[in-house]
Amino acid sequence: MSTIEVTNLSKSYGSVQALDDVSFTIPDGEFVVLLGESGAGKSTLLRCLNGITKPTSGSITIDGEPVKGPRNDVAMIFQQHYLLEQMSAYSNALTGALGRTSFLESLFGRYETDDKHEALRALDTVGLLDQANQRAGHMSGGQQQRVGIARALVQNPNLLLADEPVASLDPASAENVMRYIRRAAAERDLSTIASLHQVNIAREFGERFLGMKNGELVFDGYRDDFTVDVIDEIYGDIETDAIRTERTADEPDGRPAQSGARAHEY
Amino acid sequence: MSTDTDRIQQRLSAIQFHKRVRLVFSLVLLGVFAFFFQSALSEVSFSIGEIVEYWPQFTAALGEFFPPGELFGFLPFVDLSAYWSFIQERNLLMTFENGNPVLGAVFVTFAMGFAGTVLGVPGALILGVLGSERVTPYPFNFIFRGTMSVIRAIPALVWALIYIPLGGVSPFTATLAIGTDTMGNLGRLFTDALEEVEDGPIEAVESTGANGPQKVVFGMLSQVFTPFIAWTFYILEINVRIAVTMGLIGGGGLGQVLQTQRGLFKYTNMMATILVIFLLVISVEVFSQRVRSYIRGSDEGQSVLGLIASFPQRMAESIWK
Repeated sequence: MSTIEVTNLSKSYGSVQALDDVSFTIPDGEFVVLLGESGAGKSTLLRCLNGITKPTSGSITIDGEPVKGPRNDVAMIFQQHYLLEQMSAYSNALTGALGRTSFLESLFGRYETDDKHEALRALDTVGLLDQANQRAGHMSGGQQQRVGIARALVQNPNLLLADEPVASLDPASAENVMRYIRRAAAERDLSTIASLHQVNIAREFGERFLGMKNGELVFDGYRDDFTVDVIDEIYGDIETDAIRTERTADEPDGRPAQSGARAHEY
Repeated sequence: MSTDTDRIQQRLSAIQFHKRVRLVFSLVLLGVFAFFFQSALSEVSFSIGEIVEYWPQFTAALGEFFPPGELFGFLPFVDLSAYWSFIQERNLLMTFENGNPVLGAVFVTFAMGFAGTVLGVPGALILGVLGSERVTPYPFNFIFRGTMSVIRAIPALVWALIYIPLGGVSPFTATLAIGTDTMGNLGRLFTDALEEVEDGPIEAVESTGANGPQKVVFGMLSQVFTPFIAWTFYILEINVRIAVTMGLIGGGGLGQVLQTQRGLFKYTNMMATILVIFLLVISVEVFSQRVRSYIRGSDEGQSVLGLIASFPQRMAESIWK
């Protein structure tokens, strides 16, 4: 629903250059996957986009409006879900509406009826409508992450950010959660940027790919350009057997084989 | 070879010298310690002679504490009926007049502890939350931390003495003192609990575009909701014990009955009162422990027997608090 423009964005923590002159533009409704090693600057970029972290230089605009601090129309899904574990899934989802509710109203749980419907609709989107009353702390990791997605959706965001949303989940839950994020983004036509560690999941779900290394943007392209060589460039040489085998299989046409084809179903 | 032996000899004498120095140092330290201990004893006029001289009086008193009697008519045991008649006579528990219950001293004591706790909680919440560095930025949070420190530095008994011009020597004054004490102690526990909240959920709430107060309530307080309730119940336990000691300075309730009977040298009656105190404090503790372990959802509370065994220690602690 919005265009994101990042221009010459840099961020340094003391002598560490976390982001180095990063620029890109994301048009309406694109599903972008952000790849890179740990410490490559993925989280910093997402936090800058969200307004939690202030960049050292450069600018970010969403629909022409500069990002200055945390804002209601940019939602974030965290790796560790960061739910309020004492509260129910429903109450957690409702916290997404905090930004448009006054302090006293939120204190006494007097949210707008629309927001309450919105929270339940979001839980329905992630398949948790029947578990709305369960305490977040008692849910499984995958379910908690889905509540996190619901909370982000209740914000009615224009931009959805996800910081390694499936890094701490088992493969099945990871795929499940990614599918829900993808579905939520498609349903609401949301521009989405998700950072991921797993190359295979990235290939499966990504539409456009941004590769980062040492704070710099080293790759920006769509599925067809996202070759094994690109992965090599982003991650250096990978030695793990499973990934290497996949690479040899890919080599003849130099392009991702199985997962790329299946991803078109989405 | 001889140089080797020399070096070993040298090392040995160095070690011996070192040991001798340590010995001298330890002796000096022991001497200083003995001097201070002796000074402390003479400061409080401690004397073994006095204990020996008055031992018979003490055992006689103990005999009255536990009046001999019989259980089921034949088993030698403490005369429980002597206790019971005093409990009834002074209405320590509860009596019925024309079918209407008349609440006894035990309820006065409990009421002081309970009302004091409830009165203190809002103040504790405000001071405790504002005292946290994560809510109020660094130098300013010390305004609230300092306030709590001052309150805690003064024992509850002394607060009662301070409030006497306000309400005389009465349960009312005692309740005010307990409320004040609660603000300092519970507030401090709240602050400590808040220091341990995780950043993640706060950040998550922040990222929804929440404002400052919403960040505090939803990001921070929601994380410490159950510990806050658990700490409040813990303070209620302490406050009921303080309420007993409040009676000793005339604040009413069981403590005052105890003080009066002591003045009259009625040791049997004192013991009867102590039994009721025991009953009250253990009941409150068992209840509070059950509630706390329930809201924590996991860990087991202490057993009833364990609570009874550690009762004297906690009672003593709360007197000096």
